[in-house]
Amino acid sequence: MYKTSIRGKLIEGDKSLSQISHEILAPIDAKTPRWWYIAMTVSLAMFGWGLYCKYITITQGIGTWGVNNTIGWGWAIINFVWWIGIGHAGTAFSIFLLILRQKWRTAINRAAEAMTVVAVFCASLFPLLHMGRPWLFFFIFPYPNTRGPLWVNFNSPLFWDFVAISAYMLISASFWYFGMVPDFATIRDTTKSKVKKAVYGFFAFGWTGSSKEWLRFEGLSFVLGGIAAVLVVSVHSIVSTDFAVSVEPGWHTTIFPPYFVVGAIFSGFAMVLTLVTLMRKLYKMNDFITDSHVDAVCRILVFISLIMGTAYLTEIFMAWYSGSQYEMYTFFQNRITGEYAFQFWAMFVFNALMPQLFWFKSVRKRLWIVFIISILINVGMWYERFNIVITSLSKNYLPANWASYSPSIIEIGFFVGTLGMFAAGVLLFFRYIPMIAVSEIKSVAKFNNEIQPTQHHE
Amino acid sequence: MTEERFVAPKNLKYFTYALITIGVISFAIGFFTDPQRTWANYLLNNFYFVSLAIGAAFFISIQYIAQAGWSAAFKRIPEAMAAYIPFAAVFFLILLIGVHSLYEWSHQETLATDRLIQHKAPFLNTPFLAVRLVIFFSLWILLTKLMRQTSLKEDIEGGLAHFHRSEKLSKIFIFIVAVSFSVFAIDMLMSLEVHWFSTLFAAKTFISAFLHGSAIITLIVILLHRNGHLNMLNRSHLHDFTRYMFMLAIVWGYFTFAQFMLIWYGNIPEETAFYVHRWHSPYQFLFYASIVLNWLIPFLLLMPRKTSRSKLAMIPVIVLLMIGYYIELYYEIWPATVHDAKFGLLEIGTFLGYAGLFSLVVINYLGKANLVPVKHPYLEESMQHHF
Repeated sequence: MYKTSIRGKLIEGDKSLSQISHEILAPIDAKTPRWWYIAMTVSLAMFGWGLYCKYITITQGIGTWGVNNTIGWGWAIINFVWWIGIGHAGTAFSIFLLILRQKWRTAINRAAEAMTVVAVFCASLFPLLHMGRPWLFFFIFPYPNTRGPLWVNFNSPLFWDFVAISAYMLISASFWYFGMVPDFATIRDTTKSKVKKAVYGFFAFGWTGSSKEWLRFEGLSFVLGGIAAVLVVSVHSIVSTDFAVSVEPGWHTTIFPPYFVVGAIFSGFAMVLTLVTLMRKLYKMNDFITDSHVDAVCRILVFISLIMGTAYLTEIFMAWYSGSQYEMYTFFQNRITGEYAFQFWAMFVFNALMPQLFWFKSVRKRLWIVFIISILINVGMWYERFNIVITSLSKNYLPANWASYSPSIIEIGFFVGTLGMFAAGVLLFFRYIPMIAVSEIKSVAKFNNEIQPTQHHE
Repeated sequence: MTEERFVAPKNLKYFTYALITIGVISFAIGFFTDPQRTWANYLLNNFYFVSLAIGAAFFISIQYIAQAGWSAAFKRIPEAMAAYIPFAAVFFLILLIGVHSLYEWSHQETLATDRLIQHKAPFLNTPFLAVRLVIFFSLWILLTKLMRQTSLKEDIEGGLAHFHRSEKLSKIFIFIVAVSFSVFAIDMLMSLEVHWFSTLFAAKTFISAFLHGSAIITLIVILLHRNGHLNMLNRSHLHDFTRYMFMLAIVWGYFTFAQFMLIWYGNIPEETAFYVHRWHSPYQFLFYASIVLNWLIPFLLLMPRKTSRSKLAMIPVIVLLMIGYYIELYYEIWPATVHDAKFGLLEIGTFLGYAGLFSLVVINYLGKANLVPVKHPYLEESMQHHF
């Protein structure tokens, strides 16, 4: 039972099941629009510049970056944490909303999962190149080796990171892929092009849609979902321990694991919102991504923003309450005021204050405001990571070690390159993969006509 | 739809009166024999039951905000639990008399010599504490009363207006409770160890309140069902209640582990002091017991689909969770105040007294309105809930 009269419709218009398939799959068979080529060119140009910067980093070393002895972690780690955070939403959407039986998730989860895979890939580039000698990256695998009894440091959160992220990458990629199998089969069965039939047919694993297959399919998604739910939390908790297990003021604080997880989900949801508003505008998916979908994401964002605000205030209050002069210095003279005050307030305004506008229905209804806020949230989340990574390192216990940091053009290029890569990935996804999970949307189509209780009950 | 009234059996009421009498007697005896221990005990029980009420109120708000349909039929139970908050307010104001027996920062002589307490004095002082308590409780009482009133009006008038108003009130409530309960936890529990601080402590305390509040809601629902009420309760509902306990138990375990692990790994004396102070028997045992009861047992027992829908498995888990919460608070309060792990008839008696009072409040408020919110827009969804 689903009260559409109160909750709003999940699919607008009275559509038959085959209409749903046709409308969602239409962009795959249609001619590629011109804006797509333009956007792709820009993305690839950005990606190319990124490649050049990576080339410089690998051939000349980390010295080409703006990092120094005091601030050994610069943009690379900020961007790493930022991308990983964005990469969280896919699984957060699919799993948490699946567990919570939120039916509106069906329109959005595919985009979220696709985004996860690309974002996690972008993220993993940063620590890889930050190693300095990326061709020796396999040293991080814990295996018996000929380098003497030289094992990885199991006590190091950097190693935990490696384990958590690679596991997360595997699971979220399989979750995304297996979810697409029935849709690939639909394309195979409906497309007229022979090449497409062959390619999508290959990826569809010979799916026939028998009930046995569906049974296995559902079983698999629950198992993968269960594993991924744990991984979502573990990945970002572990990323937070990269900072929190140190004794650096501003880093060593117990709230970090949940605060990072929540922040990650926050930025990921914001990115999903950015993507679905684009999908809705560019591909006219208004009937599937309805106002109530956008409304629901906004509600989640305002709730998370509240948690973020509480966490920021808790940290500031505790810095004072602790009575530790280092904590107080970091928060009151190096964050709220001082050299990095702009970054702090950018974070605070974009993450804790501005999303509060979503309390108002008039704001949630206006798609362009929603779009802008969703982007600004991710700007704010970027500043949050800047705040954490840079301010604590710049001025810690020994004033003789204090230093400032500004990124070099190579670091900036590297970041722009990942943005290009992400955009290109998303564009490919729009073009070649059903951007809404057809089979899942069909599964909620029946809730559109409210069953009258008298027919059912009493 | 089904109108249903809860009429409290006479015996049940007498039973709660008996429990309250036991509580009053134990408290009185304790007060004359060992006042400090009694104040610690008083704080523990007050905190225990007010968190259940706050947890219940938060449960209602979350249902509205998340637009959950399944729980609509049961919303009178958390409403009745939230009605305990005014009683807790009186108790917490009385607690101000015992501040000297509980909080080191209130001692003039330590304040004169201790630099850290001096630093915290603008926040940690009795007048300001009293002001904060008055503000917090007035806000909580005001909002829970408004939510209750709206819900009762909806019963009579129906329509969507009250539903939307409830949602708005829920939003305001979580907004306020996020900040106020955090500070409340710092005031009441964390400042017992006045030198110690942890940013996660408030959040952990809040999750604990939500976890144990949800467990008690479930318990009351099951008990009412046993006695012939709430006939619509089916296995899907039970599974959903279990999910709250299961999920929150995991979050509880996660927060507890995060706080402990980071303090252990950082190994800074000013932070480890809290655990070092408690790293001997019997507190060390209680440390593990709290983890087993609040996380491990719910986690393992509520995981299988079979047990997560069975009252037979849920009731013992809830009882263990209740014990677990007591242990958690005991572990935090006792070493900071009484130091020796004293536990005896006084504690049991006082706890029974509070349990009696809490039950009496819940019973009375359940009886004051329809047991089922008859015109709740999601009631049909809730009645036909199945997955």
